[in-house]
Amino acid sequence: MQNALQNLFLSLVNVAVVLAVAPFFEGIIRKLTAMVQSRQGPPVAQPYFDLLKLLGKEDIESGESPAMQRFSSYLSLATLLVVAAILPVGGRAVLGGSVDCILLIYLLTLSGIATLLAGLAAGSTYSLMGMSREMMCMMLLEPLFAVALLIGALHTGSLRLDAILNGSVYSSAGFPFSGYLMLGVMLFSLQAFVGRLPFDVTEAETEIMEGPLMEYSGPKLAMFKYARMAKLVIYCFLLVALFAPWGCGSGDYLMNWLLLLAKVAVVVVLVTVVAATHARYRIDQVIRYYGILLGISLLALGLAVFGY
Amino acid sequence: MPAWKILNRIKERFAAAVERTDVPANNRLFVHVRPGDLREVCRHVFRDMDARYVISIGWDDRPHSGGFVVSHHFSFDKAGVLCCVLVRLPGDHPKVDSVSEIIPGANWAEREFQDLLGICPEGHPWPKRLVLPDGWPEGVHPLRKDVAWNHVPEGYNHDAEHRFEDPPPGCVVVPFGPFHPTLDEPEHFRLYVEGEFVRGCEYRGFMVHRGIEKLGDSVLTYNDIPMAAERICGICGSVHNVAYAQAVEQAAALGVPLRAEYVRTIMLELERLHSHLLWVGLACHIVGFDTLFMQSFRIREPVMWMAEKISGNRKTYALCVIGGVRWEITHDLKDEMRAMLKTLEKEWLAVAGAVKGDRNLQKRTKGIGVTSKELVKEMGLVGPIARAAGVNIDCRRDLPYAAYDKVDFDVVVHEGGDVWSRVLVRVLEVFESIRIIRQCLDRMPDGPLQAKLNGELPVGRLGVSSVEAPRGESHHMVVTGENNRPRRWRVRAPTYQNLQGIPAMIKDQRLADMTISLGSIDPCFSCTDRVETLDIRTGGSQVYTQTELLQMTRQR
Repeated sequence: MQNALQNLFLSLVNVAVVLAVAPFFEGIIRKLTAMVQSRQGPPVAQPYFDLLKLLGKEDIESGESPAMQRFSSYLSLATLLVVAAILPVGGRAVLGGSVDCILLIYLLTLSGIATLLAGLAAGSTYSLMGMSREMMCMMLLEPLFAVALLIGALHTGSLRLDAILNGSVYSSAGFPFSGYLMLGVMLFSLQAFVGRLPFDVTEAETEIMEGPLMEYSGPKLAMFKYARMAKLVIYCFLLVALFAPWGCGSGDYLMNWLLLLAKVAVVVVLVTVVAATHARYRIDQVIRYYGILLGISLLALGLAVFGY
Repeated sequence: MPAWKILNRIKERFAAAVERTDVPANNRLFVHVRPGDLREVCRHVFRDMDARYVISIGWDDRPHSGGFVVSHHFSFDKAGVLCCVLVRLPGDHPKVDSVSEIIPGANWAEREFQDLLGICPEGHPWPKRLVLPDGWPEGVHPLRKDVAWNHVPEGYNHDAEHRFEDPPPGCVVVPFGPFHPTLDEPEHFRLYVEGEFVRGCEYRGFMVHRGIEKLGDSVLTYNDIPMAAERICGICGSVHNVAYAQAVEQAAALGVPLRAEYVRTIMLELERLHSHLLWVGLACHIVGFDTLFMQSFRIREPVMWMAEKISGNRKTYALCVIGGVRWEITHDLKDEMRAMLKTLEKEWLAVAGAVKGDRNLQKRTKGIGVTSKELVKEMGLVGPIARAAGVNIDCRRDLPYAAYDKVDFDVVVHEGGDVWSRVLVRVLEVFESIRIIRQCLDRMPDGPLQAKLNGELPVGRLGVSSVEAPRGESHHMVVTGENNRPRRWRVRAPTYQNLQGIPAMIKDQRLADMTISLGSIDPCFSCTDRVETLDIRTGGSQVYTQTELLQMTRQR
């Protein structure tokens, strides 16, 4: 009984931390981008205020099917929070080790589907166009992460999340070619996973005016924005846990968290700098790019099967 | 080749057709021809003599000669001659042979005089309404002299909607506008999209047409118009200001003091600097490269301060009066300007290096929005669009005005014809502008800033003037008149021609490239529509209906 309570508590801490730090990292991105662009930039706390402002606004029903729109906005944040809840911090199993990487893959895909639903439910031309772009990207992008997790599973022989999200990609029998290959793939696709330039084609303000989110305002928009911020933290976390777990395995819980957040901050800085120095790719260029990455990741998977 | 030689060549072919000629200067030519021969003369000038089409203009001359006049303007860029082919038409049911079949770029201009003057272009391929609002009744033509500038006809329906053509089968309509976040000006393209590809489009503009030309020939006076003219555009206002003043000066054969010519040149180049810096920034923004967008705006800011120091305004310099300029460039200002140019040059070199080396940017702009030399010729495209397609035209060199014949500069030409070439042309033109200003500062003579005017300006004379705006040639025509105001004043901004090239540029391209293709001509819808006004009060909490807004605008 006590064990179960502790498990629940750890999950809740995960959710609370992600919710608390996500706007902060967004603030860092904005401030850093401003510095690159010779601007003053907003205060780091601005995203918190933005969310509060949006949450306090009138909830306008504009679009084809309001009920579906509301559902999709909650779904987008909720799935990411569930992902946060099952993250094993410092290799510590969550929910008694009963979660596996299949669930993680499902949840991550579901968060993409929330965006599809949002665009579909809004029903305007630009939303639908953003939706079709999102769908094209998802089909190529989601397998990348699945492959990374699968490689870990192959190496460790377990599907348990706490086993895999602990640098498992390197724990092959021979030299971990597949792990390093996958690290490269993930670094090149990270911008796409977190929806930042040069891969923000599904929202591209100057092309399709925020795409799926075009019809959203007020609290519903706040949900999507919050989800986007949470997504950044979670993907950075996953990247760190999969590929750079060093120092997180031991020590006390608090130290694990601090080290993890510091690593996430480094990745966030990387994301920002890439976003600030690149122009947006066109959708066909994006698809081709993802295709190449998918090819490489399948190669890595092949290597992993043979124990490299 | 001076104007009279061109005239002789036209006369060789069409001796009987030419009714009257006028060669007021070596670089201006007015040929009056018989209406029946107009089409053939235009074909000869445009095709055989390879002149560039500029614009077609109609005006109501009934109070003076009892009829209407239509004038087709051409430019012989290599010879440096502006040539106008004019026809006189009867006062009742005026009709003129359409030249749009021969010169596709004349499409809009002919529809415009059909709307505004009721001159019917016979044989026009697509005589759909262009300028007038959709609820405007047939048979009322606002630019006619018997229609008052504030006349609202019986039966005008404010709420009438535009009737768009049906899209081709298999295509979805994607609206681009009336307001789109990337362009911040009203325009409405209806794109026919198949998947991600644009197969065609229809354009509806002129939504902010305020009839500034009508004001010019019925309310304002000669020296008021420069003020109104520069409010045509928020970016290249001074261009219109100078072009109008030059057109009047040319019509009245009025000399301008040399120092004033230099001041005009400096201000025009300052304007080009800020416009090009702004455009490179915006182009980067459109493809999502906001860092360079912000940097180029930062670099641009001192140019605005400089303009403010000279004229008191960041924009709308209020530079010209007929026969001169208002503002002096003092010794202190010269030094400051030199220092400003030095920093600008250094910083822009860094930007130019960054732009040229950016493969990411090239991926988005190479092979996009391509114009061929043929398209440039057919549609009369001008400015960086033409120069990026390898067409070596620049009014500053070809039809020199102000002090451009007294300074050295290169015309930047690229062969690519795509958006990337346009980026390069504009980036490099910044350095040429810096060079021109430096030379002007060194060579400026002392002297008066305004010519002395003796009495009234002569009446009934024609003046045409082309000024190379940052976006291309701005062309003004003035017919001088009574009561201290022109009888007709016509503005042709570069976007008027360049926009007509857009359907060909975006056809069979991806939708994602639409914004950068359109952005690459630096479209100025307010220039095309001629004066957009913005009332900051309407930004307040009260929501006005269209009718209320119209009432408010008419109260004063």
